[in-house]
Amino acid sequence: MIKIEKLSKFYGQKQVLNTIDLAFEKGKIYGIVGENGAGKTTLFRCISGLENYKGNIKSAFKNLKDHLGLLLTEPFFFPKITGSEYIQLLANARQIKLTNMEDKNIFDLPLNQYASTYSTGMKKKLALTAILLQENDVFILDEPFNGVDIQSNLLITEIIKKFKKLDKTVLISSHIFSTLAATCDEIFLMKNGEIIRKVQQEDFSNLETEMKNFTIGNRIDKLELK
Amino acid sequence: MKAYFLLQFKMGNRRMIDFGLPLLIGYALLICAFLLFSNYLFENTEFATYIYGLAALSMVSKFSAYERNDFLKSIFNRTNYKKLRLLENSICCIPFTLFLLYQKQFIFAILLHVFAMLLALLQFSTTFNFTIPTPFGKTPFEFTVGFRKTFYVFPIAYVLTYISILVGNFNIGVFAMLLIGMVCFSYYSKMENEYFVWNFNLSPKEFLLQKIKTCFSFFTFLSLPILIALSVSFLGEIEILIIFFLLCYTYLATMILAKYSDFPNEINISQGILIAMSFMFPPMLFIIIPYFYSRSIKKLNTVLHD
Repeated sequence: MIKIEKLSKFYGQKQVLNTIDLAFEKGKIYGIVGENGAGKTTLFRCISGLENYKGNIKSAFKNLKDHLGLLLTEPFFFPKITGSEYIQLLANARQIKLTNMEDKNIFDLPLNQYASTYSTGMKKKLALTAILLQENDVFILDEPFNGVDIQSNLLITEIIKKFKKLDKTVLISSHIFSTLAATCDEIFLMKNGEIIRKVQQEDFSNLETEMKNFTIGNRIDKLELK
Repeated sequence: MKAYFLLQFKMGNRRMIDFGLPLLIGYALLICAFLLFSNYLFENTEFATYIYGLAALSMVSKFSAYERNDFLKSIFNRTNYKKLRLLENSICCIPFTLFLLYQKQFIFAILLHVFAMLLALLQFSTTFNFTIPTPFGKTPFEFTVGFRKTFYVFPIAYVLTYISILVGNFNIGVFAMLLIGMVCFSYYSKMENEYFVWNFNLSPKEFLLQKIKTCFSFFTFLSLPILIALSVSFLGEIEILIIFFLLCYTYLATMILAKYSDFPNEINISQGILIAMSFMFPPMLFIIIPYFYSRSIKKLNTVLHD
């Protein structure tokens, strides 16, 4: 479905992605985890075609981006555009005719208000709704659970599971391990621009323990909190 | 507080550099533009003092934005915050005050400075819960956003057209149409986030054509009442009217092409100069339109594909 071969990315002299090889299958959900600055967002931007890169990204589509729903970590909104107009804008961009927008407002967003006045979580939900209505085959969700309330978290988790049934391919990055464990078929661990581990579903619990030990270790003691 | 003002100065410098201006030239241009504008105003209108005062206060009022002040309050204590805001408004108002003093408008100069400082004690909320209705919601975003920011211009243009017919002055009518043209022109001055361009499943050529088509149809929608009213009332001048109307279309298309010619960056100083020169010498459009078009296609090719 999507095959990444020897993908590298430099910002000036700094290498942010280092010869990455990955393959994403149809009908599977993939998680990408790693520290801040590990290269997750850059990887997503390369796959989306928002960045130039070295290497190859091949897909079953002529233009992958035309079948791709991209949820950015911090979605951008124009200052005087309403929620429904934002959804309309993204649908128009893909020549999708929208019907019954109110019924499809599953997160109960105030669609007639300016999107720029929404809270962080509401903005994320609006951006997600817009890409869901674009009828995409592939989804890249960069931190979809950030700032979102617990009810919507559950809803997003179920949407991702539904994608699997619908044979879509989904790439998610998240710092909330439980949501990844509940949805993903495979998780890739990134560090310093490299994929250092590929973990199958049966090993998720081990990965969480390992990550906890590695991440926390004795770092808190170093603070000498009193 | 000194660190805060130094930071503001640095931010201003960075903006100028990002705009493509070396600092010395930038500051020199800024001072020249201010002096020319001030001089022009005082030489050409008897209401200059009032317009000048309003211009100064509207500039100073930008410092009173709600979010900005909330941030300042969170990092400075109450006394320092007030001192800082008073100083900020005062510094911004100084060029206007000095020019008023030069014009021997002593009372106005003092009043303006006092008002500017009083503004420091006010905060403007930008989050009122009212959505301005727009006829362009089905095809966001330039006209949707632009209309909401400049909705008051359109009734003014229509009233001017009515006055033009009433007093039999064709020029006022043409001015009204150009006013709408200029306002629509301004809708394309800012670059959107690259995500919104990336989303389109169109080739660069199709994307640009769609943008121009939407712009033309909405501009026609807004200016058609003026065109019809003036055509009926000044039948003998219809050729001039059509020429101005077509010029508006041409400049709107030029602006759209210029906007994407340095995508994903904003329009820079060289593009701005080319557009400004084409206003003074319209035949230049025959060169700059193909130039902007080919550059836009090249730049858009990075996120849109044939």
